[in-house]
Amino acid sequence: MPLSLNRRRFLGTTAAAGAAAALPWRAAHASTPFTMQAAWINDAEFAGYFIGIDEGYYAEEGLDLTYLPGGPDVIPESTIIAGRADLALTTPDTTIRAIVDQGAPFKIIGAQYQKNPIGVVSLASNPILSPADLVGKTLAVPPVNVISVNAMLQINGIDPSQVNIVPYAYDPTPLIRGEIDASLDFTTNVPYTISQQGVEAVSFLLYDFGFTIYNDTVVVTEEVLAEKRDLLVAWLRASRRGWNVNFEDPDLWPPRWADTWFDGTGRTIENELFFNNAQMPLMQHPDGYFAMSEDDIEANLSALGKVGIVGSRDMFDTTLLEEI
Amino acid sequence: MAAEPIAPLRGLRNLAILLAIWEVVGRLDLVAGGALPGITEILLRLWEDRGDYPRHVWATLAASGAGFVIGNFVAVAAGVLFALSPVALRLFRGVNIAVFALPPIAIAPILVLTLSGMAPRIVLAALGVYFVTMTATVIGLSQADSRATDLIRAYGGNRRDELRLVLFRGAMPSILAGLRVAAPNAVLGAILAEFGGGGRWGLGAYLLGSLGRGEPDRLWGIGLVATLIAGLSYGAFALLSRRVAGATRAVTLNSAIPDVSVQAGGPALRVALAGGTIALPFVLWWAFIRLTGVPDLIAKTPWGVVDYLFLAHTAETAQARLFAALAETLPITVLGMFAGLGFAFALAVSSRLAPRAIEAFMPVALITQTMPLVALTPLLVLILGRGPSLTLWVTISVTFFPAFVTLAQGLALVPRSAEDLPRAYGAGRWREIGMVTIPASLPYLFAATRLTVPRALLGVMIAEWLATGRGLGNLLNQSRGYLDYGMIWTVAAVSVLLSVVFYQAVVIVERRVLRRMGMATAE
Repeated sequence: MPLSLNRRRFLGTTAAAGAAAALPWRAAHASTPFTMQAAWINDAEFAGYFIGIDEGYYAEEGLDLTYLPGGPDVIPESTIIAGRADLALTTPDTTIRAIVDQGAPFKIIGAQYQKNPIGVVSLASNPILSPADLVGKTLAVPPVNVISVNAMLQINGIDPSQVNIVPYAYDPTPLIRGEIDASLDFTTNVPYTISQQGVEAVSFLLYDFGFTIYNDTVVVTEEVLAEKRDLLVAWLRASRRGWNVNFEDPDLWPPRWADTWFDGTGRTIENELFFNNAQMPLMQHPDGYFAMSEDDIEANLSALGKVGIVGSRDMFDTTLLEEI
Repeated sequence: MAAEPIAPLRGLRNLAILLAIWEVVGRLDLVAGGALPGITEILLRLWEDRGDYPRHVWATLAASGAGFVIGNFVAVAAGVLFALSPVALRLFRGVNIAVFALPPIAIAPILVLTLSGMAPRIVLAALGVYFVTMTATVIGLSQADSRATDLIRAYGGNRRDELRLVLFRGAMPSILAGLRVAAPNAVLGAILAEFGGGGRWGLGAYLLGSLGRGEPDRLWGIGLVATLIAGLSYGAFALLSRRVAGATRAVTLNSAIPDVSVQAGGPALRVALAGGTIALPFVLWWAFIRLTGVPDLIAKTPWGVVDYLFLAHTAETAQARLFAALAETLPITVLGMFAGLGFAFALAVSSRLAPRAIEAFMPVALITQTMPLVALTPLLVLILGRGPSLTLWVTISVTFFPAFVTLAQGLALVPRSAEDLPRAYGAGRWREIGMVTIPASLPYLFAATRLTVPRALLGVMIAEWLATGRGLGNLLNQSRGYLDYGMIWTVAAVSVLLSVVFYQAVVIVERRVLRRMGMATAE
């Protein structure tokens, strides 16, 4: 897509005035309020957006961005239905299920993670390296992900009843102490915290064993898509720029946010550095960050189909990405 | 006896022994491979993390303070209304029981769905204080000195003058005692909402971020700070009531919904009031959703829940999932009620038989009331596994404390002379307790049961959510992830309804038994 690349380069090197000139339908310097709902508390998962805000990329695009962090009780999709945010980062299985089951008016306009970072984490001393290794073991899974795990097991010819699934409550201590054999979490995050306890962790991605879905899909309501299309394209453009800058040197940014974005989160900067490096290969795409290729959309739909979530191509709108 | 130190010192000495044991056990990693840190390890970590705390503590104080003020304002206003108008009191009985019984973990997700920013924290804190202060106000106002009100009336004063000049002044000690119990509730409510609600600041948010590190000393530090805030807020109001009222009254958490029988009016009015009592909580629920203006897809009205559960095309699967969850949750809840009550009772009786041991246990018991259970989950699953024993222990820990306080108070009020009788006939201590102390404190046993019963469901749901992955608690958590809004509201509604039913069942049995025994309800 040479057009989008040229545009990005162009915007990347020009100032606000240039951006306004390139987008003549928007008055120069006028900034429009725009709110995004993130999927979790502040961590490296959202580094690209923090750069975009701190470095003024959203402002250059005419967006006055409000950033809302997530949490266990925050359902990002709810925030956009209630109109408290224009855009949310979601998991595609919940979003597509809501469209199918409840007729929720959602469109997926981009995907942050090309490969879902969720995987099975275990200790090197009791390694679980493939779905087959899970048979007869105890696996802690956040209740929301149970269906995904069952699907991954079935895809690999394993009867889910052969795995003892218990709830996962955020704390890796039971895994480190051997009360459970493995847990399901972001492989970009937990292996680090386990290593801090002097134990080595191993992991595999559900993605690599047939559950080929995105994560942190960029979701909007049909209403916002119709009314704020130019703002959404501007958000995608500024966010892509933020991620580009972030991965030019993944070690550069997290320490800078020790007293801002990461202040008081209870997590360590070293953890964020590990996270930021580990997530790079899961996000990269030849067409740029957030890209959604036809093959990948098909892979998402077919993986979800195996869980009984029957989505369709029209739930994804790739036309905004083309306008970046 | 002469060698024994005097009472307060004895308590301190026993506490010191207990802390020393904790320290040794923690330092040597004797419990669950080190999941329980030593006291000094926790304190050192607290000191290391001291830079993190001020903003979190401040945010928690701001939310709980706002909730405390708003909740108490509504509670005192409602208390005055109820004291003036028996009809209003009767009409709001259903609402009052529902607020008393509602399990906060089922309500927190609902609040985050429908409100934004600080509002969920403030509302959860306010809900925690409303009931305590409201009952304290009603009781305080209804215990006024009739001679003083007669005087006002003799000088031509009306009801409003009575209220202003006599009733409010008389009710002050009671209201202040209510505030004292309410203050820690506000703190705990705010922390729970912070944990789930996605803000950056607040002890609950700090706890969430810290959980992933697998460092128990940090988690215990947060729990200790939460305990300290709750304890200080209790202490502050204790001091205030001593200053203002000149005396502190031993008021514990009151579980009796103030009630009156409306004498005037015929059976038609009584039926209308009964209908209104049941309908009002649902009307308020409906009004809340209409006022917040949240779309129907995510905010379900009572009718929306009925539709989801009985009429929609997914109704059958929804019912099946709900009933399957209830079948898992209800038996262990009933067991948990008996376990919690039994533990509280055993503790109360032992506090008569071995007061020193129990004195030392009290500070630890207090920490279990303010230490967030999510931080204790690894310790609990490592010691107890993920079976029924864990669920029972969590339920006991959630239920026993208020029940114990109530029972201990009841046991202490048994007349000495009645206890002396069996002793005079040579009965042992146990015999005496069985024949006199327990029957005489029956009203308090019922009051304790009223406190225990709704909280047992809360305890079981917490254990299901964090550790066992079964039943109603798991269903709630799972439906949150599946965006199954109908089920989120259904679980919240069913859990409140169940708690109310449990409560009301105890009230009915209590009335029958106490009437037969010629006793009055304990408040």
